[in-house]
Amino acid sequence: MQLEFSEDDERFRQAARDWLAANAPTDTPPYDGQPARDYALSWLAKCHAGGWSGIGWPREYGGQSLAPSKLILWYEEYVRARAPSVLDCTFVSVNHAGPTLIALGTDEQKTFHLPRILEGKSVWCQGFSEPGAGSDLASLSTTGRVEGDEIVVNGQKIWTSFADIADYQELLIRTDPEQKRHRGLSWVICDMESPGITVRPIRNMAGVTHFAEVFYDDVRIPLSNVVGGLHDGWRTAMTTLGFERKTAAMGVQLALSIRIEDLIARAEPTPGSAMAERLADLRAEGAALRAMTYRTIFREPANPSEGSLMRLYFAELAQRIAQASMDVLGPEALTDTALTHDYLEAYSETIAGGTAEIQRNIIAERILGLPRE
Amino acid sequence: MTCDLNLSEDQRQILDAAAAMLSQGHPVSRLRDSQDDTVTAIAEFGGFNLALPEDQGGTGFTLVEEALLHVLLGRHVVSVRALAAPIAARVAAGQGAADLASAFADGTETVCAAIPAAEGTLLIASEGCRYALLFGDRHLSILDLADTHTTVVEGLGHGSVTTRRLALGAGKTVAASNGGPLLEIADLLVSAQLLGIAEATLDLAVDYAQVRRQFGKPIGAFQAIKHQAADMAIQAEMLSTQLDMAAIAARDGRADAAFQIAALRRLAPRVALFNARTCIQIHGGIGFSAEADAHHYLKQAHVLSRLGAAAPLLDLAAALAPYQPA
Repeated sequence: MQLEFSEDDERFRQAARDWLAANAPTDTPPYDGQPARDYALSWLAKCHAGGWSGIGWPREYGGQSLAPSKLILWYEEYVRARAPSVLDCTFVSVNHAGPTLIALGTDEQKTFHLPRILEGKSVWCQGFSEPGAGSDLASLSTTGRVEGDEIVVNGQKIWTSFADIADYQELLIRTDPEQKRHRGLSWVICDMESPGITVRPIRNMAGVTHFAEVFYDDVRIPLSNVVGGLHDGWRTAMTTLGFERKTAAMGVQLALSIRIEDLIARAEPTPGSAMAERLADLRAEGAALRAMTYRTIFREPANPSEGSLMRLYFAELAQRIAQASMDVLGPEALTDTALTHDYLEAYSETIAGGTAEIQRNIIAERILGLPRE
Repeated sequence: MTCDLNLSEDQRQILDAAAAMLSQGHPVSRLRDSQDDTVTAIAEFGGFNLALPEDQGGTGFTLVEEALLHVLLGRHVVSVRALAAPIAARVAAGQGAADLASAFADGTETVCAAIPAAEGTLLIASEGCRYALLFGDRHLSILDLADTHTTVVEGLGHGSVTTRRLALGAGKTVAASNGGPLLEIADLLVSAQLLGIAEATLDLAVDYAQVRRQFGKPIGAFQAIKHQAADMAIQAEMLSTQLDMAAIAARDGRADAAFQIAALRRLAPRVALFNARTCIQIHGGIGFSAEADAHHYLKQAHVLSRLGAAAPLLDLAAALAPYQPA
């Protein structure tokens, strides 16, 4: 067990720190709509111009092919600089759609989309969940009827973040009506400008409209937009799920460590007070979260589902920190828009991307080996 | 120069050997018959001088392997003497008491654990011990128990944990250590044993949930049980990861070692007690009985939690990375 960064790593860290200090915006980004899109794309374009986009992507696709040690140093410096949250409207394109295309896309798909993603020219959203297919994703029923060299899509998706400002969608649909559950699905690139698409933004409990319902009424998508094979969409969807949970999560988790420190600095708790004890607990838990982030990157997983342990730990810690932020500020918390936004948003942590209940089932069945129901 | 958190082959071998030794000599079921626990086999294994340099009679391993050994000791609810010995050896060596240090390290002199308390010092597992290692408020000292009078205290579980009381001020202090790396080592090893309890109770609960059947199926098939087991797994994983981080930081003398260990020591009792409690709950009626093993872990977690306390975490500079550039 070793944790020693090389001199080369340290030079990289310094270069990242210098560049971020000079370039990272530290104002509060717009929460939703066109301003959120413009802000995120402009920041990504700036990163690209500076040579800092696609840090985990292979070099042949315009990325930096950075080793895990450098990725973690980048994100540490990124959160230290209080750069914009990586969970903006470019998150899906950079951390999910892009890597999926790299793994399974056709040359044509890669040549067209990958540069647009890295240069900050396109926004992607994810069309997986449906009103009747949430935790039970494999029960999805949006259909794609193959007609000649097109797929005709009908149905509805929901909880699609940034659908109202996205150019493309990774869309999971049932293309083989004869097959059930995980079989007979396809993962297709959907152009959000296609005729027949209706986006109805949904305001969330935090008061912003970053997610939406999407309706498909005879939407025609070229067959050449299928990624990873017709009727083989489940495998495509699963290919990059691990990538998202591992690499992309770094920036989100390390950012939480910084939030704890900022909270302690803001609270200035009286030594020995109940609040001081609570903040000390959170600080210890933040240290453990950082350690877990390192373990995920630098240790062979003992079990492919191991990520669920950290995912759920992170989600619940984020909620405890958000709750503590409200309590630290007392009644004035009610008047602080940014703080209450973050507090309310934290309620989604144990729902989005697999509820806490589903994560616990995964841990119990796939890691601990308890029997399935 | 590398970042690799996997166990090395050497680490795997020493830990496998220790696990085999403990499975044979210290199955937790031994505690059903007697609380008297000998640590001789662990001393003979070299468990008390694992991290000593080879030219000083050690086996050439480091604090990282020693911490991982103590996870195994915690899993087997080994007497706190096995925790006191390697720490007392260091305290004695630091005070120039080389003979005493090597006697603790090779097991020829036994040392029990002592906890300061308002009504007089509590001695844990002190039968036949000449010395006690006192886990004070940010200090460690070795007490000579020769010619002292102690009384039996029944206490926790009607005598489940062998405890005696030593009058305040009794016992001669033969060596002491105030603050610094020795306290960090003590906190690291106490936390490692608490992690062992958290891991063992998870394993025990999961095993039981597989075999205990109600309503026609193993109780582990019900989400009410699964979700509790999942929470135990998260807690154990979290603590184990922080232990690795803290042990590496301490071994390598990093600037963030004190912070990482303080965070670890703060988390460890809570995690161990949570898992021990949940383990009892998952066992149901038998878990509440003294005939199952679950209660031993809970009681040991309470004892270990009282051996020192975490350094005040808010007074330490937070490490935003486990490595500070030079």
